[in-house]
Amino acid sequence: MSTQVHANLTEEQVTQISEELGEPEWLLETRLDALSALGDLDMPEVIRTPGRDWTNLDALDYETLVDPLDWEQEKDRVDAEGVDVLSWSDALAEHGDLIEDHFGSVVDPQRDYLTALSTALFSAGTVIYVPEGVDAEDVKIRTTMNSRSLFNYTLVVAEESSSVTILERQTTGEQLDGEQYYSGVVEVAAGENSFVQYGALQNLAEDSYNFQVKRGHADTYATVDWIEGNIGSRLTKTSVETRLLGDSSESKIVGAFFGHEDQHFDLGSRVWHEGEHTTADLVTRGVLDDAARSVYEGVQDVGREAWDTNSYQRENTLMLSEESEADASPKLIINNHDTEASHSATVGQVDAEDLFYMTSRGVDPESAENMLVEGFFQPVFEEIAVDELLEDLDDLIVERLQA
Amino acid sequence: MSSDQDHLEETDTEARFEFKKEEKSAFETEKGLTEETVRLISEDKDEPEWMLERRLRALEQFQQMPMPTDWPGQPDLSEVDIDEIVPYIRPDIETRGGAENWEDLPEEIQDTFDKLGIPEAEKNALSGVGAQYESEIVYQNMQEQWEEQGVIFCDMDKAVQEHEELVKEHFMTKAVPPSDNKFAALHGAIWSGGSFVYVPEDTSVDMPVQAYFRMNSEGMGQFEHTLIIAEENSEVHYIEGCSAPKYSAFNLHSGGVEVFVGENAHVQYSTVQNWSKNTYNLNTKRAIAEEDATMEWVSGSMGSKATMLYPSTVLKGPGATDNHITIAMAGEGQNIDTGAKVYHNAPDTKSTIESKSISKDGGRTNYRGLVHIADGAENASTSVECDALMFDNESTSDTMPYMEIQENKVDVAHEATVGKIGDEDVFYLQSRGLDDDDAKQMIVAGFIEPLTEELPIEYAVEMNRLIELEMEGSLG
Repeated sequence: MSTQVHANLTEEQVTQISEELGEPEWLLETRLDALSALGDLDMPEVIRTPGRDWTNLDALDYETLVDPLDWEQEKDRVDAEGVDVLSWSDALAEHGDLIEDHFGSVVDPQRDYLTALSTALFSAGTVIYVPEGVDAEDVKIRTTMNSRSLFNYTLVVAEESSSVTILERQTTGEQLDGEQYYSGVVEVAAGENSFVQYGALQNLAEDSYNFQVKRGHADTYATVDWIEGNIGSRLTKTSVETRLLGDSSESKIVGAFFGHEDQHFDLGSRVWHEGEHTTADLVTRGVLDDAARSVYEGVQDVGREAWDTNSYQRENTLMLSEESEADASPKLIINNHDTEASHSATVGQVDAEDLFYMTSRGVDPESAENMLVEGFFQPVFEEIAVDELLEDLDDLIVERLQA
Repeated sequence: MSSDQDHLEETDTEARFEFKKEEKSAFETEKGLTEETVRLISEDKDEPEWMLERRLRALEQFQQMPMPTDWPGQPDLSEVDIDEIVPYIRPDIETRGGAENWEDLPEEIQDTFDKLGIPEAEKNALSGVGAQYESEIVYQNMQEQWEEQGVIFCDMDKAVQEHEELVKEHFMTKAVPPSDNKFAALHGAIWSGGSFVYVPEDTSVDMPVQAYFRMNSEGMGQFEHTLIIAEENSEVHYIEGCSAPKYSAFNLHSGGVEVFVGENAHVQYSTVQNWSKNTYNLNTKRAIAEEDATMEWVSGSMGSKATMLYPSTVLKGPGATDNHITIAMAGEGQNIDTGAKVYHNAPDTKSTIESKSISKDGGRTNYRGLVHIADGAENASTSVECDALMFDNESTSDTMPYMEIQENKVDVAHEATVGKIGDEDVFYLQSRGLDDDDAKQMIVAGFIEPLTEELPIEYAVEMNRLIELEMEGSLG
């Protein structure tokens, strides 16, 4: 893949996108650098064990599928008082310096092939700026994908002692047929004592390929929380990450997924403890039906100077069918002994005794199983502090159970 | 303390590293690895043609396979230059296939193993002792009562000659093919020595069978092969110990272990590994367990500069069970990358993995494990537990489990914790009159107890002494 000549991606296209958004020179340079680096970059890492690749990212010919100039979306942004929620062109006009300071500072534009592709070609997206001391209400973004490919870039800058909750929903418009590619990058720069909660609910069409990198930097006393719901797409590859750079910073990564038919989810949750007195909690629960497959990688990395660290991780998968498959690798990388760290992972099926109990109370087996599956998600639901996201996620899960 | 243990107290563990014998050998191959070297080894051993062919095939595979370099956090193997290794040294002993009596051994070899406590261990009624010095077994004995029952315990070279059919069928064919990894291929090409254990049907060898391996020459590679065949309803416990003196150049140990656990048989394989800290310890160990069989791996890794070792079990028959207990301790300059692999290929199979690691003074431990449950392995259950203890922030403790679950009627659980020695625990013990060092040693001894209680008393004592030694003066 990385050796291909990208015949249908040109500097002219990238320049055209950049011009349409009215971008300054530095951003165009960043894009062109990313474009020219494509040939040297590898695909995002996937886990390999003897004889097996857990995810095959080469199934799609990205460069043929992608048409960078033909992009169409519907964006529905609900902003909150005191917060700037802007498209890229507006944001660049209003906050050019702020963007220059933060763009690419959290997610390396060339961390891998797909991220570089996203950096070079993004046209859709949102900049969210929360000024110092602003305690904002919920910001909502709804993205409907209406083209074969869509590159979305979200930059969140939360200044000192500010607070914001962002809800992002991704869906596909009805008129689309065939394979699609959605690529999303989210960067969160959380300033001192700020609080950023970023919830995303992905429900793209089931013939789409979905690649997302979400990464936050937490300054002193800052909190970066992520909520990840994955329901749609055929193949999803995500990495949700927090670097706890400041002392006493915190992060929680909560994930829920429900795969059916031939869906494949490759989900990563990663946290780096770099400051002192930092805390992280990673909680993911997922259900697999039909021939669906999940790959989960969780990484808790505690640095040499990360004194007094607390780090926890839980991952549970429920398998509803014979053909489903669950792979998991929860990793601990500990370089400081002043740490309390644990992780646990389980894979199992609906408990036969529970099912028997329910049916003995007169509930038919199908409803009983559905109730138990909904109940399985409960510990994750309890971690989701945003009611609206919780309700939407619950609706989608119920809908899938009844399908 | 009983008199049985006294000799262990007298065996100075430290002395095992400091003394080294002047190298004296009958036959030594040139450094490096060529087809000629492989032919020489095979010829010197007077091997049948098929074994030479297997060696040459393995050599070809070795030359084609890349070095493993892309595992996250793996030990640095760049120093391992096969061309610098002397693959085969035959000690200067008249008798091929080992001496029957201890007294027949040349004095300096006797002396070496005396220091290691080998004859004493045998006196302590272990059912057989094999000791490998450099590349070949120099002393092997099996208590008569087991021999009468048809139990075979002999060195591998002798087995190739005397039990050819059994060896031909099982040697690097089903369990560890040379294609498994680069070092298995290397092993297949230049293996020498090791033990062969055969336990017939319905036979329980109720005392452990023991082997001791030692490298005495600088820049030496040791590639011993252990093949254990336990027939239906049989039972055996095999123990291996390893050590080498300190030299400035590096040593390479690349052993191969294959265990065939027959229907309803029970095999325990215990290792106390204490190679000197310039040794690269890159082993491949694999067991195949038939219906209702039980395989147990008990491993303590204390020595070596770098270890990459993941004993694995293929649960082939329904109802087969695997238990892993592994303890790793890494001090200054050590990278102990160890774990377990279990393949559940049949219904009603069970596995448990218990891993404990201790890292200190800049040492690095890594649990790397794989549990694979194949489609159709209904009612399989597995439980993995990893605990790590850390002493300082120069050390590293990694846990990297991989779980591949292709069957839904399963019960899979993985748990891991990492922590430091609790201040409260230390305070409690101090308030009972122990000093700081003793308190911490006691906590560590308690931490590794699940391993030591699986070992015969003399090994348990040795483990504890090794750990004490490792911890002496290093505690703040």
